[in-house]
Amino acid sequence: MKHCLRACFAGALLTAAVVDVASAQTGTVKLGQIEAQTGPNAIYGYMSSQGVPIAVDEINKAGGFKVGDTTYKLDLIALDTRGDPKEATIQIKKLLEQDKAKFVFGPFLSNVFVTIFPYAKQFNGKFLMLGGGTRIHEFVGQPGNEFVIRSWNWDAGPRGFGERMVDYLIKTAHPKKVAMLFQNDSGGKILGDIYEPIFKARGIETMTEYFEPGTKDFSPVLAKIGEFRPDYLFPGYSDAALYDIVRQSIEGNYSKKFFLVRGSTGPGLKNKDGIEDYIVYVPKDFEEAEKSDPKVKHFVDAYKAFYKRDFPYDQAPLCSSSCYDHVYMLVAAMQKAGSVDDVEKIRKTLLSMTYEGMWKISFDDHSEQVFNFDIVHLRKGGVKEVSHVEP
Amino acid sequence: MTQVVVGQILNGIILGSLYGIIALGVTMTFGITGIVNFALGQFMMIGAYATWYFTDLVMLPFPVSVVFAVAIAAVAGLVADQALFRFTRNNLVNGLLVSIGLISVMESAALLLFTTTPKNMDVVIAGSWSLGAITLPRMKVVAFLLLVAVIGLTWLGLSRAWLGRATRAYAQNPEAAMLMGVPTKALQTGVVVYSCALAGFGGALYASLFSLEPSLGALFILKGVEGAILAGVGNLLGALAGGAILGVTESVGSLYLPTSFRDAYGLVFLVAILLFRPAGLFGGRK
Repeated sequence: MKHCLRACFAGALLTAAVVDVASAQTGTVKLGQIEAQTGPNAIYGYMSSQGVPIAVDEINKAGGFKVGDTTYKLDLIALDTRGDPKEATIQIKKLLEQDKAKFVFGPFLSNVFVTIFPYAKQFNGKFLMLGGGTRIHEFVGQPGNEFVIRSWNWDAGPRGFGERMVDYLIKTAHPKKVAMLFQNDSGGKILGDIYEPIFKARGIETMTEYFEPGTKDFSPVLAKIGEFRPDYLFPGYSDAALYDIVRQSIEGNYSKKFFLVRGSTGPGLKNKDGIEDYIVYVPKDFEEAEKSDPKVKHFVDAYKAFYKRDFPYDQAPLCSSSCYDHVYMLVAAMQKAGSVDDVEKIRKTLLSMTYEGMWKISFDDHSEQVFNFDIVHLRKGGVKEVSHVEP
Repeated sequence: MTQVVVGQILNGIILGSLYGIIALGVTMTFGITGIVNFALGQFMMIGAYATWYFTDLVMLPFPVSVVFAVAIAAVAGLVADQALFRFTRNNLVNGLLVSIGLISVMESAALLLFTTTPKNMDVVIAGSWSLGAITLPRMKVVAFLLLVAVIGLTWLGLSRAWLGRATRAYAQNPEAAMLMGVPTKALQTGVVVYSCALAGFGGALYASLFSLEPSLGALFILKGVEGAILAGVGNLLGALAGGAILGVTESVGSLYLPTSFRDAYGLVFLVAILLFRPAGLFGGRK
């Protein structure tokens, strides 16, 4: 009886110890996300909101990740801003104050970022925000804004992808006149500000027009541009507008040559018999990459299995911002930093590392992402030529 | 430049006919049911997506797809009427609230089904007709002719057939029409369904011209309401004219003024007209 009691007591102690150890060794890291999953500008946000859950699911299904002796799982809180800055302000407040998230992915939309920035800045040092918005460029790398990391290539400057794109255009087509047609919003305006000097510096004459968000009939502005007789039309910046611009420009004989730094190959391929030239910046040409890169193939397969639908090849390149790779990169940074709470240490680690996932991702001195990208050059009939660029 | 302006006047008239068909739906529904159905833009969206689906995915000929699309929009209109709108007859505010709620539901359903990725139907009629510097895509011209034909037939039906006369009689004096044996409930349902079918038809032609996204209806319902008010609510042929005037104002305005304020030009014109003719261009003096 004594033996039995002793055995029971020992067993109870052991169980208690095991339970105690187990509870001490597990934890959860909250990952917030504010992107436009729906709405007219959801094209910038949709793919990020599609890619992050896949990475989170993969990491959690693999048992989580270890930092020190503790195994953590990720808890994703993905909120749909619908591209509405007011909505996003409420959501970032919820993520930071209620959920106490220390890592927030997004936003990809400049107007959303500019609106939430003053509020988010109050939490500088307490969380990290990885967003792709173009206007984030103005804020990153400045004292007091350490919480902001821009997860997208910058257009201008020595490593700027826009400069490389324009150089490619000059090398292949020698244009004298380029007409730019952008959306009349924060993102569109900044494109005009970036590219007018880039073209001017290379002796190319430009004309810039802005269209109202939601425009479907571009005939009037294209007619205006037609009077300028540009060698290339440089429209932006989401496919929602590009499909219509490209088609209407071809049908109206305004321009059949296109140069894009925002948007996909979709509009060019759809109008492949009408275009003469369609040069587009694509973070990755997935159709080609999945044939040669196992990581890309894995992502495509994982997407199909996770969502049980076809892979959106035209949208997929936008997964280069605050998306699948970045979840793994952040986890790697936490492991390297040996902490899931020390935001500053994780930030420094993240900014100093190079991650090789679907993209080779690193950050420059201004906390701005640098990654390899593709230039896709479509010609009449849909003949495709892909150039890989390492900035 | 003159040719460019003429080209844009023609383009404005063509685009305005799309506004016109929505304006026609707005004006008919308001006249008979007392509701401004703001969800008509979403019925247009249903017609557009259905046309794209049947043409590009099921590979049916475009005209057959249009018939299916119109039928689907009509059935959706019937369901919406029986489930929602019949409880809000002649109550402007309730009708408005229901239609706004319906916008949200229909748009979310479209997002769920089709995502935000723009859908682009394969070109139905390729090429353009050119005269000097004026170039008009053939499909745009065909769409315009079809829209004018449908609006014209609707006007003929309402002015010549018994059902049309009954509809107008009800719009002018519901009590008297009822006493004369007009089946009012069926009439109201019929008008809601027909206006949704018209919107679906507009959507079908829209799909042949522009890319599709779930929010496409929002812009067109605003233009439709503007067109109806500009013409004078209740004036059927005026709805087409109202739409065309809006289209021309926007197209030509964008040539000389910043394109980024394109929608504002039509609105400014509308306000200017209402200052002098509060009942609209073709409405009676009130």
